[in-house]
Amino acid sequence: MSYYDVDSILTDAQKLPCTFELEVPGLGILEGNPGEDIKPGTRIDLPLWLGEMLSIGARLGTSRLVTLDMPPALSERVMNALKADPRTVDLRALAPHFYSLSERILELFEEEEMVDVLTETFKRRAAEISDHAHNPRGAVGDGVDFLRGLDETERQLFRAAHDRAKEMRVWSGEAKKK
Amino acid sequence: MAFPLPRGITPSEIAFLAEMEMVTVVPRQRLEGLELLGGPVEPLVPPRPSTPREYYPPAWLHPDPLSLILEVESQHQDYKNAFSPPLPLPGQPSIRDNGLAPKARPQYTPDGDRYFPSPPFLPQNTAQMTISSRDPPALPFHWVEIGNMLLEAASDDLVEADQVRRLLKDLREIRLSKMRAGVDALDAAAVGGGGVALTGVGAMEVGEERGFLSGVVDNLRKIGASKEQARREQMAEQRANGGYNGTQDEEEEEDYMEF
Repeated sequence: MSYYDVDSILTDAQKLPCTFELEVPGLGILEGNPGEDIKPGTRIDLPLWLGEMLSIGARLGTSRLVTLDMPPALSERVMNALKADPRTVDLRALAPHFYSLSERILELFEEEEMVDVLTETFKRRAAEISDHAHNPRGAVGDGVDFLRGLDETERQLFRAAHDRAKEMRVWSGEAKKK
Repeated sequence: MAFPLPRGITPSEIAFLAEMEMVTVVPRQRLEGLELLGGPVEPLVPPRPSTPREYYPPAWLHPDPLSLILEVESQHQDYKNAFSPPLPLPGQPSIRDNGLAPKARPQYTPDGDRYFPSPPFLPQNTAQMTISSRDPPALPFHWVEIGNMLLEAASDDLVEADQVRRLLKDLREIRLSKMRAGVDALDAAAVGGGGVALTGVGAMEVGEERGFLSGVVDNLRKIGASKEQARREQMAEQRANGGYNGTQDEEEEEDYMEF
């Protein structure tokens, strides 16, 4: 998570559902009504970095501006699907940076069970990714659907495993350098 | 990320490191001795053509030891999830001479100083005068690279080169799949506990799986970070309260030492 890490910046931009607790004059532009005020109880999707900042009042003891909700990508429904079979869930459709997002969310919410579910999910999928990466047919064949559903972290893993296997084949003379 | 080179060490770099290993050459031409940076090279004198050839490839690079290792790795119950044991360290007793005192065989520098050789100066990959079957066969650290290079450069001098090549390939595949199966055990490594034993794994194999395995471990750590944080806070709280008896104290202490 370095300052210049593009994935970290993109994670910051993912939307998080927030509910406003106070009336904010002139911030209606967030809702699409420029010049209007925001009423308490309004629900808006805000980027992660903004929602995090606005909700921070809760920690300082003052009344907070917004309350955060779980993003749809980490809802109960998704968790149940992951518990049932991690490999059939299309993580990319839920959130392109699924694991980075859940990391940040887990810093904000105390969700012990979610940690377990995500750990198990990642392990099961990592084994699958490795198998696909070492398959000489690569990303064509039966695995297409699964590989299309990988989030960014998993794609990097796939790339690391795949490139390494390919370099090995090139070195040992089994494959031609392209 | 923006860094252009792949992380870790590439196969050709590992092969370069493996080139430090000592091998035997039989000269075909006469050459004066050379004084090189790495030490003197003795004068090369070709043997008389009439002398019978009495060299054998390195102890492990024969079809028999390799198929034995392959059998142990694939069939043996104890090695279902483990790799065949590496060569004993220099000066360590080998498995066969149980109970005997370790025999360190010192060597002497040209100046007469005593020293114990260590890799890469162990004669693991040199030709031998006889086929000795005293020690159980074991794969040296650079087995993938040395095997590959010797097969490429000197396949005529190996015993049944084609079979050796096939066995090496089979071995590599079975060991890689074992290493990948280790991902299942990795959870513990991220949230405090066991890990994957990589005893006996060669340089090239480590290099190949490094990117994947370290990526998996790193991400498991990130996912488990909040839980770990909570665990530590809870422990610090208990410590501060001091409301438990002595036996628990010891357990907690041990628990804490893991980090």
